[in-house]
Amino acid sequence: THLLSEHTVIDLPTGVVAFQMDTCDPKVSAIAVASGGHIYVYKNMRPFYKFTLPTLNIEPAELEVWNQAKEDKIDMSSMKEVLESIRTEVGESNLSSRSQRFLMLEPEELEEFVHVHKQFPLKRQTVVTCLSTMKKSMAEDDAVSCLVLGTENKDVYVLEPDAFTILAAMTVPSVPAFLNVTGLFDVEYRIIVACRDGILYTLKRGFKTGRLCVELLSQPVGLLRVKNTVVVGCMDQTLSCFSMKGRNLWTIKLESSIVAMETIDITYLGIQLIVIALSNGLIQLYQDKYLVDVVPAEDVVTGIKFGRYGREENTLIMTTRGGGLIIKILKRTAKFDPKNLTPGPPAAQHMKLSVPKKTKLFVDQTMHERENAVRMHRSFQHDLYRLRLNTARSYVKVLTSSLTPVSTGGSDPLKLSAQIQGLGPVFRLRLEIQNTSTDKPSTNLFFTFHCDVRIYRVDKTFIPIPFLAPGLLYSSATKVECVSELGISDVIKVFVLRENEGVPLITAIINMPISEGMMSSY
Amino acid sequence: MGLFSKLASLLGFKRKEASILVVGLDNSGKSTIINHFKSEEDKTIDIVPTVGLNVEKFKVKSLGFIAFDMSGQGRYRNLWEHYYQDVNGIIFVVDSSDSLRIIVAKDELDMMLQHKDIKDRNIPILFFANKMDLREALSSVKVSQALGLDNMKSKSWHICASNALTGEGLQEGVEWITDQLKYMVEQNKR
Repeated sequence: THLLSEHTVIDLPTGVVAFQMDTCDPKVSAIAVASGGHIYVYKNMRPFYKFTLPTLNIEPAELEVWNQAKEDKIDMSSMKEVLESIRTEVGESNLSSRSQRFLMLEPEELEEFVHVHKQFPLKRQTVVTCLSTMKKSMAEDDAVSCLVLGTENKDVYVLEPDAFTILAAMTVPSVPAFLNVTGLFDVEYRIIVACRDGILYTLKRGFKTGRLCVELLSQPVGLLRVKNTVVVGCMDQTLSCFSMKGRNLWTIKLESSIVAMETIDITYLGIQLIVIALSNGLIQLYQDKYLVDVVPAEDVVTGIKFGRYGREENTLIMTTRGGGLIIKILKRTAKFDPKNLTPGPPAAQHMKLSVPKKTKLFVDQTMHERENAVRMHRSFQHDLYRLRLNTARSYVKVLTSSLTPVSTGGSDPLKLSAQIQGLGPVFRLRLEIQNTSTDKPSTNLFFTFHCDVRIYRVDKTFIPIPFLAPGLLYSSATKVECVSELGISDVIKVFVLRENEGVPLITAIINMPISEGMMSSY
Repeated sequence: MGLFSKLASLLGFKRKEASILVVGLDNSGKSTIINHFKSEEDKTIDIVPTVGLNVEKFKVKSLGFIAFDMSGQGRYRNLWEHYYQDVNGIIFVVDSSDSLRIIVAKDELDMMLQHKDIKDRNIPILFFANKMDLREALSSVKVSQALGLDNMKSKSWHICASNALTGEGLQEGVEWITDQLKYMVEQNKR
């Protein structure tokens, strides 16, 4: 391939489409390039026609100011003041581009700017933002098609292909960013417009305004139609599919942000795929939401087109950021099988759960909750505070009475753990004590017990503790007998005390199990 | 049928007939090449894209050919493999001016060479780098490089640049395949 012809466009191009202008033989497609406020039509590699968007109404006050400037009746500072006041009144976007430019200039440049421009009539022009085509009355591949374009002024126009008159003008509530057209102009058509405010609108034949279809979570970066669904790529790296009524059918999160999108319609396989160029240089092919193939590209692909190229039916043509052109031809034997590439969510996820109907009780409860929301919240908060207070109180109590099995403060950091072994009526109470300090040994400590003497009898009520070296685990044991015959259980408290001191260093509370031996005697 | 041909068939000369398969992408010039070998009265003036296949008979240097002129269109290419089993030679036609689709031709060639009916048989393959008259046509060396013919060791092959409209280069190629087929017949007799 080599460059066939080159044309310079004055402004940045915003859209390129090829379309069939007339029914004359031989059928030669024309190329329409949208740029600024014009559409340039090329035929046989030569400029053919230039269509200019209709001018918009200018604020009378603004026109008045420029008329005065033309006759040199107004000085620069007052002119700037007046224009600024008009701007605050009608908004920046409703001023003509000349006034917008004027207000941006430095004071010393104003004089020259006005001098250069004042001779020409003031015009306010809008800019084409997106361009598409629609077949006029026949659905054949080489049938005549109309141009469909969206403008900065929130209008959507349909142009007649021969004379370039506006056949239909419609408005949407925001600036269109992408257009997707289906149907025939003379029969029935539907235009899906993705706007800059992240909302999709649908336009139908005979309607002047767009109907809200979908509110997206993010700004759209691509709009496609696959069968009867709309697929939108968003700035938040997601690909979503919507039904024509606006219901979200699926959304998938992509690994990187989307740069370009295109549909692949393989007729002999009867499938439609979505191809997405990602900013990490991968080209991903999706069938519905299942990834069927990944093609790495050497560079970030910025534009994709799929269709017939020369004699080859299924060709994917891509342009890269670095200015490269990649042509890929689909293999005749290619198969797209989603199952062996991506498992996707399990089938159970798609099963509908049989949710029972809302009962009257549920409805009443909902109503009650809705009406008394504030009161319920308050009482919940009240209870929560009480709970927290009780917890804090108990904690303080535990701290003050050294009821914890770990003592941290003071001179002796100790850890105590107690175990009950046996089934009863005779238990073995095993105690383990450890000095958790790094260098300070503990001396003159002993264990003692407190329990209900009607239920338990402790064999050794006083166990002296040997010299506790830091870090080592010491264990001692005693026999405990359950003397009650009622089959009840109680707690035994174990204290660690220092000789000649009344307050225990640590306490362990042991919940005794029910004596099995007693139970068997019943 | 004349007396002489009856006599010839009795003596066993009639068996000198080879079936060859003519394949290649659509618009590469297969039917035009076959048309060139047909006798004057059978020649068609305008060649239309082949649908399915055409079977043509012609004679070069006392060897009769039955040529299966396959359609090269994508949707008919899966017919090729059904004829691999009982062919004696293959003619693969490449449009040397279509540098973009040479990769597609290579793909089809590789698939053919991997096919079970072709893989283990020594079948002579003749390549025509057709449309050599066009300005943007690649040379036969470049075409053989693009098709990766250097790596094809198991088959005897030959490539020649051709122009099917004037018949340039066709005779040379067909003489090569005739010699190959005759040689193989002799090999089989031993």
